[in-house]
Parts: sequence; C-alpha cells; structure tokens
Amino acid sequence: MLKADAVCVGYGEALALSNISFDLGAGELVAIIGPNGAGKTTLVNALARLLPIRSGGILLDGENIARLTPQQLADRGVAIIPEGRRLFTSMTVEENLELGCYRAAARAHKREGLEQAYAMFPILGERRRQISGTLSGGQQQMVAFARALMARPRLLLIDEPSLGLAPVIIKQVFETIARIHATGVSILLIEQNATKALEAAQRAYVLDCGQMIASGTPDELRQRPEIGAAYLGHGH
Amino acid sequence: MASVTADTPVIPTRSAAARFGVPTTLAVALVLLLLLPALGLPPFFESFLYLLCLWISLATSWTIISGFTGYFSFGHGAFYGVGMYTTANLGASLPILVCLVIAAALAALLSLGMGAVIFRVRRLRGELFALLTLAMTIVVATIVLNTPIDGGPGKYLLGVQLPRIYDNSATTIYLLGACVAIGTLAITYFIQYGRLGRGLFAIADDEDVAEGLGVPSYRYKLIAFAISSAIAGVIGAVHAIFVSYVTVSETFSSTVALFVILMSVIGGMRHWLGPAIGAVFVTTINFVFVSGDSALAARIVIGLALILATLFLPEGVAGFVQKQVHKRRAAASSNTDTAPHALVPAAPVAAAPTATERPILLKGENISLAFRGVQALDGVNFDIRQGEILGLIGPNGSGKSTLINVMNGFYKPDTGRLLFEGHDLAQMPAHRIARLGLARTFQIPRPFPHLSVLDNVMVAAMFGGAAYPQETARRKALETLDFVGLANRAGAFPSELNLHQRKFLELARALVSDARLVMLDEVLAGLTPSEITSAIAMVRRIHGGERTIVFVEHNMRAVMELTDRLIILNQGKLIAEGDPRTVMDDPAVIRAYLGTSDAEG
Amino acid sequence: MSATLFGQSVLSGIFAGSLYALMGLGMSLSWRYLRVINIAHFGLVFLAAYMTYEFAGVRGYSALAVALLLIPLFFVLGVIQQVLILRFNVNEFSSLIVTYGLAIIAEAVIQLIWSADFVRYENRALHGNVEVGTLLLPVADILLVVIAVGLCVATWAAMRFTWLGKALRAGLDNPAIAAAFGVPNQRLLLLVSGFSAALASVAGVFVALLYTLAPSQILSWLGVVFAAVLLGGLGNPLGLLAAGMLIGVSEAITMAITAPSWAPVVPFTILILLLVLWPQRV
Repeated sequence: MLKADAVCVGYGEALALSNISFDLGAGELVAIIGPNGAGKTTLVNALARLLPIRSGGILLDGENIARLTPQQLADRGVAIIPEGRRLFTSMTVEENLELGCYRAAARAHKREGLEQAYAMFPILGERRRQISGTLSGGQQQMVAFARALMARPRLLLIDEPSLGLAPVIIKQVFETIARIHATGVSILLIEQNATKALEAAQRAYVLDCGQMIASGTPDELRQRPEIGAAYLGHGH
Repeated sequence: MASVTADTPVIPTRSAAARFGVPTTLAVALVLLLLLPALGLPPFFESFLYLLCLWISLATSWTIISGFTGYFSFGHGAFYGVGMYTTANLGASLPILVCLVIAAALAALLSLGMGAVIFRVRRLRGELFALLTLAMTIVVATIVLNTPIDGGPGKYLLGVQLPRIYDNSATTIYLLGACVAIGTLAITYFIQYGRLGRGLFAIADDEDVAEGLGVPSYRYKLIAFAISSAIAGVIGAVHAIFVSYVTVSETFSSTVALFVILMSVIGGMRHWLGPAIGAVFVTTINFVFVSGDSALAARIVIGLALILATLFLPEGVAGFVQKQVHKRRAAASSNTDTAPHALVPAAPVAAAPTATERPILLKGENISLAFRGVQALDGVNFDIRQGEILGLIGPNGSGKSTLINVMNGFYKPDTGRLLFEGHDLAQMPAHRIARLGLARTFQIPRPFPHLSVLDNVMVAAMFGGAAYPQETARRKALETLDFVGLANRAGAFPSELNLHQRKFLELARALVSDARLVMLDEVLAGLTPSEITSAIAMVRRIHGGERTIVFVEHNMRAVMELTDRLIILNQGKLIAEGDPRTVMDDPAVIRAYLGTSDAEG
Repeated sequence: MSATLFGQSVLSGIFAGSLYALMGLGMSLSWRYLRVINIAHFGLVFLAAYMTYEFAGVRGYSALAVALLLIPLFFVLGVIQQVLILRFNVNEFSSLIVTYGLAIIAEAVIQLIWSADFVRYENRALHGNVEVGTLLLPVADILLVVIAVGLCVATWAAMRFTWLGKALRAGLDNPAIAAAFGVPNQRLLLLVSGFSAALASVAGVFVALLYTLAPSQILSWLGVVFAAVLLGGLGNPLGLLAAGMLIGVSEAITMAITAPSWAPVVPFTILILLLVLWPQRV
C-alpha cells in the first residue's frame, strides 16, 4: 500500500534522512523505532507532506505522492496523529473532531463519526464543549486519535503516541491503536518506546541517525543482540 | 584548554580608535558647523542646513525608543508639538535656553506618564504602544486646540528674544539646531555602546529573556522613552522660532511621525548613525521637490521608498553595511578552526558532604499557581540546599517548567513564599531575582537573535548577579565562552550556531554572572547520545563541587548520574523528595510517575 | 440637557459607532487571521468613497450599481495585496510600515485625481428622515446601522458555525496540522483579505453618502477605528460592534455636553482607562 524508495530529506545543507526505504501492506501495522533525534518525526512530516522531500519516491497504492500537497494527501485517505498531539488548542473538543472530517469525502459522515468517537472515548463526549487546550495530556491524546479517525483514513500515521504520558495512559493508547487496527486501517507507528511498539507491530524497522539500520518481525529484531542492547534496554 | 586571546579571531566591537574617534569626530563636526556662517552663506543654504539638523535630531531621537527598544512610536509629533507650544507660549517672557529646558522637561513628563501606563501591559505591548502613541498625538492636539495654549487660530512668535550671533537671528536658530543635532548624535552614540543600549537591544530582541537575565526592562524603557521625547521637545522648541507661527493642524499632522519612521527605516534603526543617513536623504528629496504637484510626487516617492526599504533593505543602510562588514570578517576568519570545541572530560569531584548537612539556600513554601482553571502548581513545599545538584523530575505537564518560571520571576504564584537569603522572591520582578544571583536556561534556547554570541553573554554578565562593568563583562564573557567551548564562535550570530551550540550559549549566559543558583531546564533534550555524554560532563564542571544547581530532566541516566537529591512533581503536587535511589523505589513515585497501576493521566 | 437632545446624541453616536465597526471589521479580521495590521485599509475606504462620488455623484449612475461593482473590484484588490504580502514574506510589524506606505500613496493618488479640495456626494433617494416621536432618523444612517450590524453578526456566525470559519481558526492554531486534514490555508487567507477589502468598499460607500470627502482625512479615522478594533478584541466582530457603539455614543454625548472639538479625546480615554483598570483584557 505504502512504499518509500530511497527518500532523502534535508534541512539546509544537512541531510536529516538519507535513503530511507520501507513498505507497508494494506491492513498492516508497521512500526518504525529509533532513539531521540534519529529522524523519526522528520520522516512522519515528510510522509504527511509537511516537509519537502529532496529525492526519492513515496508510492501510495502505486501513485507517487512525494510532490503532493498535504491537502491532496488528505484527500487520498491518509490521516496523521502528530507528535505532541498538536490540537487546535483554542477550539472546543467537538470543533477539533469536526476539523478531522474537513475534506469533502469525510464531511458527509460527520454525525456518524462523532457518535463513534464519543462511543470510543466517552470522556470526550462529556467534554465536547471544553476548549481542547485545557484538557489533560491523556485526554488530548484521545482528541488527537478521534480527530484522525473522523477523517475515515485508510492509512494512519501515528507519531510518538506515548510521548509525555504516564505509563498507565500509554497502555490505554496502545490498546486503542490495536482496536483501530482491528477495524482494518493500515497503520504506520513511529515510536521511541521500542518495547511497546514491538508488542503492537507486525513488522518493524529501526531508524538511527537518519538511516534505516534494520528491519524484520518483532521477534527477529528482539533476537538481534545489537538491537536489543541499543533500543530495548537489554543488558542493563 | 586553549587560551582566550589565541582563539578569538572575530569579535565585532569598536576598536579603541573608534571609541576615541567618534566623539572627537562629532566635536570637530560641531565646531565646523558653528563656524560655517562666518563664510557668509546664502540664506536658503543655511535654512537647508537647519532643516537637516531638525530632521537628524527628530529621527535619531525617535530611534532611541523605537529602533533600539523595538517599540514603534507613532507619537513623536506630540513631543515635538509640546516643544513648539512651549516656546510659543513662554518664548516672549523667558530666555530661550530656559524655554528649551522646560520643553524637554514637559515632553519627558508626558512620555513618562504614557510609558507608565503602556509598559505595564504584557501582551500586544508593541502594537498597543504604536496605537497609543498615535492616539496621544490626537489627544494632545485636541487639548492644545481647546485651551488657551492655542485656542484655535494658532500662535505668532513675535516677542521671542534671540541673541544675535553673527549679527543675524536666523543664523542663531541654525546654530541652536546644529548644537541639538550633534548633541543628539552624541547621546545616541553613548547610549548604544553603554549599559543602557545593551539593555535596550536585548529588550528589543526578547524582552522576557532580557528581564530574566537582569535587565530592568520597565525602567530602561521609561528612560529611553524620556530621553527620546525630551530631545524631540527641545528641537520642537527651536523649530517654533524658525516657523514663527504655529498651528495645531501643522504641528500635529502625521508628517513628523511619518518622516522619522521613514528616515529610520531607510537609514537603519539599530545604529546611532542610521537615522541621520535617512534624514539627509529624505530632507534632500523634499528640498528638491518643493512645491505643488512635485510635492505630491515627493509623497509618492516617500511612500514607495518606505515600502521598498521594508521589503528589500529591512535593516536599513547602516544595518546593511554592518552586515557586509560582519560577512567579510567571518569570511576572513573561516581559515581558522571553527569546529566545535572538544570538551574536556570531567575532573573527578571530591565526595561532597551528604545532602542533609548542607544549609538551605532557597525554601519554597506552599507554592500554588493556576492557569485558566488548571492547577499547574498545588501547594508545593521544597528546599534547595547550598551546593547540591537537585533533580526536578516528573511527567510532562507535571509543573516542572512552571516551577522554574516561578522561581525565576516569570510567573507570580497565587499563593506561597520563596525565601532566598531573607528575600521573598515570590512577588519580585524577574530582573531583581537575576540580580540576587539566580540564573536559568531555556529548554528551547532563546538567544537574542540580533546580538553576537559574545554580546549575548555580555548582557548576562552586565545585568546578572555579578553586574560587571563593561570591560570586565567582556573578559568574563570570553572566559565563559571558552569554558563552554564557544570561544571561536564569539563573533557569530545565534542563527549561525547549531542546536548543540545554542544550548551551550544558554549555559554560558546562565554561568557568566557567577550565579549562586543555576536552574537548567532540560539542557539535554534534542541532543544526540554523544552530545549528551559531553553535556553531562559539562554540568559536572559547572557544579565544580560547590555551585547549587536545579536540574530539570527527562533523561534518567543523566538524573541518576548527576543529582544529589530529587524532588518529584506530578500534576502540580510534590509527591516525593530525597536521595535518588530511595526516591525512585518509592511506591508512590512508581505508581504516579512510572505508573503501574490505574492513575489518571 | 433635554431628553430629545440626549436621545438625538445617543442616536448619532450609534450611527457613528456603526461606521467605526464597519471600517474596523476588515482591519480586525486581517489583523487576527492574516497578521497584517492594515493601515492601507483606510486608503481603500477612501478610494471607494471617491469612486462612489465620481460615478454616482458626478456621472449620475445608480449608487446601488456602483456599490455592487465596487465590492468585487475591491475583493480582487485585497487578494492582490495579500498575494504580494505573502510573496515578500512580510511579518506583522513590517506590514504596519508597508501598508502605511500604501496609505500615503493612496492619499497622494486621490489628491492627484480629485484635488485636495472638499467634495460632497448628495444622494436624493437616501436624503429623507424618519421621525420617531421627537427624534429624527436619517434614512442613510438607518441603512448604515442595518448593514453594519448585519455584516458583523453574519461574520461572527460564519466564524463560529461554518466549515470556513472553523478551518480559519484551526489554521490560526496550527497551520501544518490543519493542512494535513485538508484545510487549504493559503486560499482561505486570500479569501479573508479579499473579504476585508470588500468590507472597505462597503464602508467607503457609506463614507461618501454621509461625509464630505478630502484626501487629508484618510488617516484621521485611523485612531478611533484602531481603538474600536482593540477594545472589541482582534477578530471578534460582536466585540467590535459593541466597542464601536460605546465609542460612538460616548463621543456624541461628550460633544453635546462640551464642544465638538473635544470628541477625539473620548476613544483614547476609554482605551487608556481600560488598560489601566483591566490590563489583561488586551
């Protein structure tokens, strides 16, 4: 479904990502793990077309999306749950969700989408008129998830969903991801918390210093000693 | 460690010659201008020279508040008008020099009143200042028009007695103008390179950070505004004699406000000489296109010049020249080593006394603060002990940064006290807290973008706890830059540094004034693993076994390696405190912070 | 002061306040959503006023037709101005200076075409008065109040309830993420600038209907309209309407009690009082 081929992204003179290649099948949940500063968020932003791509191609269902605008990408059914939530903080919870289905194809399903969102996250239903910036971190993450689901995405990009959340909440977040995946949405999960990400994913890639250094099933990756030591905290 | 002198090729500052040369040049220029009438100039030339002096004084004085400090005034005409009407009303009964002094005093008082209101506002202050200064012109004009100050028809200045130098009172007006213009340039020059100017430039770049480094921003803005207005008042008082008939509509028209902005934008607002360059340019254009339709053409030219200068020469002629000089210097020095300075590994530190034996340096009692209904800090009690490295940790949004902002004076707590050597910091302005010897860094570095690396650190050295005089501050700043490995970047601008270097610039600003309490807000965030290792070593060297440090951090490895004691915040409450290993085993901490049960996030 | 004089003062204050709100609405929107402090807005208002005078007054076309032509024309002018501002990446602060320059040029151009003398457009259809008890309500002023209130309320509702308004507010909060959900930020900004300029043309038609025109008056509206915009809150049409009325009515009462020449002091006194008493409001 999604295939990146030798993607390079740079800021100024420096290359933040070099020759990144990976693929994701329809209905698959693939994780990209790596430490802070590895280039994970740069990769998400490049995929979501929020950053220019210097070279290489990204194919979505066979179409090269590397030069599309973010709006065109949204029209093709890709939604993002960004790092640090990045809600529309001065707007209410419900307005945030409505913005999720801004694109023409999703607007028709607004009422239905809101019902589903409030069924999935009842607390958001109670707080639909609250300004989203005043919610707690965990609730804000729920809004970010619900907002992305309102777009009825075929492919969901999830960036660091565990960032800054208490482990209890992180557990809930990963349960939510599993539930969304079970409905047939393809998911690309970018996560620093390798243990959690490998539990959730069917396949994973390891990104470090702007390069893909390994890939495989979670089991294969856990077995590889250099991966275990560097990213999973083995041997400490 | 390399020595300072060998490693610092690029330090843009005035050479000794320039420091001696500028005042001398100004003095010589003044003497020449004063002797000029002896040559017997034609009257139109003398009046042209006078107009040059008028506009140099007005534009340069405007720059003191608006260019240096970044607060755009649309009300310079009001102060100039106060001066005009001072002479118009008092000129016949008082000696002219007394009139000038009164004009300066009245204009300064008006600006102080205005400033006292506007400079207290925190949000939108730049826009409000622009608007209210504009409004003030209208208010002053209305008052003058409706009271005997003018009364409506305008005032003739017939009875003003001028000393007749060179046998001609018109020449006397020119001489007065020349004195004011050169005096204004001299004052502005000394402000720019003195303590006041450094504070003002810092305020223009980032007022909150400047305040946090110890710049008394409220007072400095008032001083700059008062000086600027007083000069406008003086030259207005002189100009009233020149025009000899003053009316409200002429005096308070938008011309003055417009022209001073135009001249400063064209010439450059961050340099004492910039507005004068612009003044010469614009005055000459106006003098050439004098009457009727060509005056209209001049207005169009001026409007276009304003737009084009803003778009293509945003820092004006003087700024453009400065930039070229900087580029050439940087190019010349690029042969020398500009690679990041390798960090010296930490020296082993002798075992410190155990935490509880140390005296308390700062004591926080019942600190609470709520924003928009969210309780950011909720009755926090804590001690910071002399010479320790105190770790301040907790999940995102737990109130760590808020607590730092309270300690450094950016936020005022709703309740509670912060006792530091007998002072309560809780309601103290940030610059006084900095003066007492508390310094901080920002999680996302906030250098002053238009100041060089050296000048960034010098601001901290001159206004922070140590309050060094300028030359000592320069030496200290260079030493500190060497300490953090930025000595060879002293002449660079912050935009030319990478994130790692900017973080170290933050450190240098916090360290240079020998602060007794240094608060480091996530210095490691965004650094690569090898940079983290060197940064940990740096923190250790900063501590040097004795400096008190509050260390906010997510990276647990660094926390466990560095800290003597931990305090842990969760949802604005302090939930644990003590020796790092004990605290991290505390079930409450594991539950709330590492979270293994059903705590709400 | 008699009840009639007082009532008439309040009414004329409401009329003036409506015009402040109408002039300020475009400024307020562009300041909030475009980060452009648009002093050239007043240049546009007067350009529209002079064009109304020229075509409806001098050449005798229908005022309504002129207004309906000016609105799309000015929409385009507003879009062009914003395209240039985006093209040159002008920040909020520079926008103040650049649009000031534009206003000066507009003033000079108007003076070149129509001279510096006062001109007056007399419209017969809107000439009459409606009498309510002892009070006189000029038809043109009633129309002004209806249009100003209607536009402010409609703009508020659009911002609050429509997809367009929500998308604009989202774009202000977080443009990149709004874009990722399909919001066409740039096009919306052009729409706002076009709408602001179109509002300027509507205000200009009323300035022509109600006032004697002179190029030197262009910036004389600046202070009072700025005060209304700030008092009302940036991008808040209902607040702007209330602030405009407050300023207009206080001015009118001041004029009735003292002399008309004292009126300019009123809006700024209100603004300064507000700053002193309630600094966190702005």
